[in-house]
Amino acid sequence: MSEEETTLPGTLKVRHISKAFPNVLALEDVSLDIRPGEILAFMGENGAGKSTLLKIINGDYRQDSGTISIDDKVLSFTNTRQAREAGIRVIYQEPEIVPGVDVPENIWIGELPKKYGVIDRKALNERAETRLKEYGFDSVLPINLMGDELSSAQRQIVEIMRALKRNVRVLALDEPTSSLTDEEVDRLFTLVKRLRDEGVAIIYVSHRINEIKRLCDRIAILRDGKLVTVQAAEDMTEADIVSAMVGRDLSDVFERKPSASDREVLRVEHLYSNWHNDVSFHINAGEVVGFSGLIGAGRSELAKVIFGEDPKIGGKIYLDGAELNVSRPDQAITKGIGFAPEDRKREGLILIRSVLENASLAILDQLTRFHVVRSKEERSVVGRYVEKLNVRTPSLDQEVGKLSGGNQQKVVLARWLAAKPKVLILDEPTRGIDVGAKAEIYGLIDEMANEGLGIMFISSEMPEILGLADRVYVMQNGRITGELSGSEATEEKILELAMVDDLTTFDAEGIPELEPENEDVENSEG
Amino acid sequence: MSNETATIPAAAEEEGDGFFHRLVAAIGVDNLTLIFAIFALLFLIIFVSGWFGYEGGDKFMSWQNLMNSLATAIVIVGLLAIGETVVIIAGALDISVGSIASIGSVVAASFLVGAGTVGMLSFLPTGNVLFSVVMGMLAGVICGVVNGFIVTVLKVNPIIATLGTLAAFGGIAFLIAPEGKPVGVMTQPQFTWLAQGRFMTDLPIPPMGNTAWPGVPVLTVILLVVVLVAHFLMTYTDFGRAIYAIGGNDMAARLAGINLNRVRMLMYMFCGMVAGLAGVLLTARTTSGNPINGVGLELQAITAVFLGGAATTGGKGTVIGTFLAVILVGILNNGMNLLGFNTFVQRVALGMLLIAAVALSQWRQARAERVRTSIAAQG
Repeated sequence: MSEEETTLPGTLKVRHISKAFPNVLALEDVSLDIRPGEILAFMGENGAGKSTLLKIINGDYRQDSGTISIDDKVLSFTNTRQAREAGIRVIYQEPEIVPGVDVPENIWIGELPKKYGVIDRKALNERAETRLKEYGFDSVLPINLMGDELSSAQRQIVEIMRALKRNVRVLALDEPTSSLTDEEVDRLFTLVKRLRDEGVAIIYVSHRINEIKRLCDRIAILRDGKLVTVQAAEDMTEADIVSAMVGRDLSDVFERKPSASDREVLRVEHLYSNWHNDVSFHINAGEVVGFSGLIGAGRSELAKVIFGEDPKIGGKIYLDGAELNVSRPDQAITKGIGFAPEDRKREGLILIRSVLENASLAILDQLTRFHVVRSKEERSVVGRYVEKLNVRTPSLDQEVGKLSGGNQQKVVLARWLAAKPKVLILDEPTRGIDVGAKAEIYGLIDEMANEGLGIMFISSEMPEILGLADRVYVMQNGRITGELSGSEATEEKILELAMVDDLTTFDAEGIPELEPENEDVENSEG
Repeated sequence: MSNETATIPAAAEEEGDGFFHRLVAAIGVDNLTLIFAIFALLFLIIFVSGWFGYEGGDKFMSWQNLMNSLATAIVIVGLLAIGETVVIIAGALDISVGSIASIGSVVAASFLVGAGTVGMLSFLPTGNVLFSVVMGMLAGVICGVVNGFIVTVLKVNPIIATLGTLAAFGGIAFLIAPEGKPVGVMTQPQFTWLAQGRFMTDLPIPPMGNTAWPGVPVLTVILLVVVLVAHFLMTYTDFGRAIYAIGGNDMAARLAGINLNRVRMLMYMFCGMVAGLAGVLLTARTTSGNPINGVGLELQAITAVFLGGAATTGGKGTVIGTFLAVILVGILNNGMNLLGFNTFVQRVALGMLLIAAVALSQWRQARAERVRTSIAAQG
């Protein structure tokens, strides 16, 4: 599909771009315009070709055919530096951050201000403070933090600041909000809109439809490497977008009917830890209990304390009525707890090992006789769950790192289903996963709960919590600030509880006013 | 359970791709490379050296050289490398194996003839071959426990920890020996049989290179047994699975229920035990329990492991790969001996080989990483 020629100067013209990888045609004859003063959304399932297109624009990959040009000047990049010099900047989900230096040095890395040959700290810090204040990030990003102390959100902000110190003509953001809290998202949107109004051409890649509807002017939808459509955002309904992305209807994603019994499977009483202050809650058999809150509220840490990975200082945990005292994850697993961590690549999976080995790791003790793995039994058990979860893999011996994100997450879930726990903790189970796989995972969570499993469901995506959870706990700063039943939970109520002390005023659109003195700083990743 | 094959139809497609593909898959691409390298090296030694007028190349293909020199020369380094393979796959390192072998050597000799610090414990039996072998291995296990303790409880980086114990164990070997001197075991033919004994001497195998079939050395059989045991351990047991998992991603392994400290402790104990056995066999070979017996062997062992395809970051590698690499290094050393290169040249060659092996392993990892990112990029 090609677009009408536009005469607007500064337009990034993508023409007939194709790119093939060994087994797949990642992009096929894609042509579109990215206009200055406009926010263009790239949408599509994982594998649709969004990332490949971004990487070509950024000079990470070279196209097999086709051209990219600005102002009739054909751009031919062999590396990212050339793209940056041309005013193109792509901000990826996981920016490179130097761990041992602070925020200003991370932003001005490579071009630090010098005085008498040494770094001029004062000038640097002043410059950083002014810049962050100018863009409204001074309260969320204290400049004295070191690179390794930054949360995902803060890392993103550093990367955006890096981009802004140069003259940016085209700015691309690759799923920037997947690790951001709603408040941070609002700040980011304010910034992005401001850049648009200053005449920057902006590409915005995201899976979140409501964000796109709020932010973007036009939407480009890719499917299987082809451009399906480019339309003005106001002309597309959510249903239009989803059906263009997947070519099928996903209206029945959220249809969980509560199946909770009266039997408590997990009870936490007055829990104290390095992060938590008097946390009490319970989960019943067959219940999906949502844990909502801002990043840094202590939800992931709570999961890790229950799982024996992080130490408990005080309080009691009961599993199926019996007091649970574990100091290591293997003990928690033996007692009947499963935990799918937030960062599946770092904490969930051994990427260089096979699907089989990853999926059977937690139940090896059940699959061995005299410590020898019963291979046939193992293949049959893992095969059963791989089939049940519809994991798309060429074989059980495939390296997990070679699967797509959604299938990787399903391997993690297969591991825990096979372990048959009483309580399963899911920490952001759908992060970075395409729409189709998300729907499958929702269906699975529903099914597991209906079979009597108690599920602790930690998520930062409001629709997930609202659609799936039978009950919701909201956390803030290591405390539980509220409990809502499934019927009374609304986005507003949850937000209110998540930010009780932090934020009192909203404007009409729900965008918080920037009142830095009222806000706590979120230092740790949630 | 009957639906296993139905689950993954693609698996059958991929694996059933003809005899050749199945063979390659079973042996492994990395191992095939090693086998190819072994043949290339043989060709180099036997033919090329002759063309260029080196003397000695023709001596290579004789039973005397193949069975008596080569097959026994690789045993000690081979054992150390097998133990080291397990540790390196787990993403750690044990630099102290040479010193553990020295301790094993002295301890076994001391118990055997009742000399030295440990042999002086007069209530213990002397002259018992099995007992002294077991005690040599036990000494290795204890060294492994020390390494494991330093790494798991004191949380010292494995390289630093075992660099420290390399020095410390080396010193302890001297402290055990009487006045730091070697303990002779020449008077114990049953013990030296471990090194000099031959199995299957009466097989009707024709002579080669004007030397008669000497039989299979006991040493070589011991190495083969250890290779098979270690291969079984790493491939078919929960211990092996845990080692690969820890090496691949220790945090994910822990959150999937692996007790990291326990596995790391067992791994150092296993490596220590095999190193202790290597020390015992060194005593049998050199007919003395000498505290310098193991000095410098760790370098050759570690070289063989990386040459065998193990990843420096852990999670990848095989016992068989290491075994093939040990043979390759053995042939290289043996060939250089026959062709008259002196030991200094050999040391240079070994050092270069270690670096080349690791560079190759890094290159393989980078290539694998590229494959992964190109797949991720399709998403």
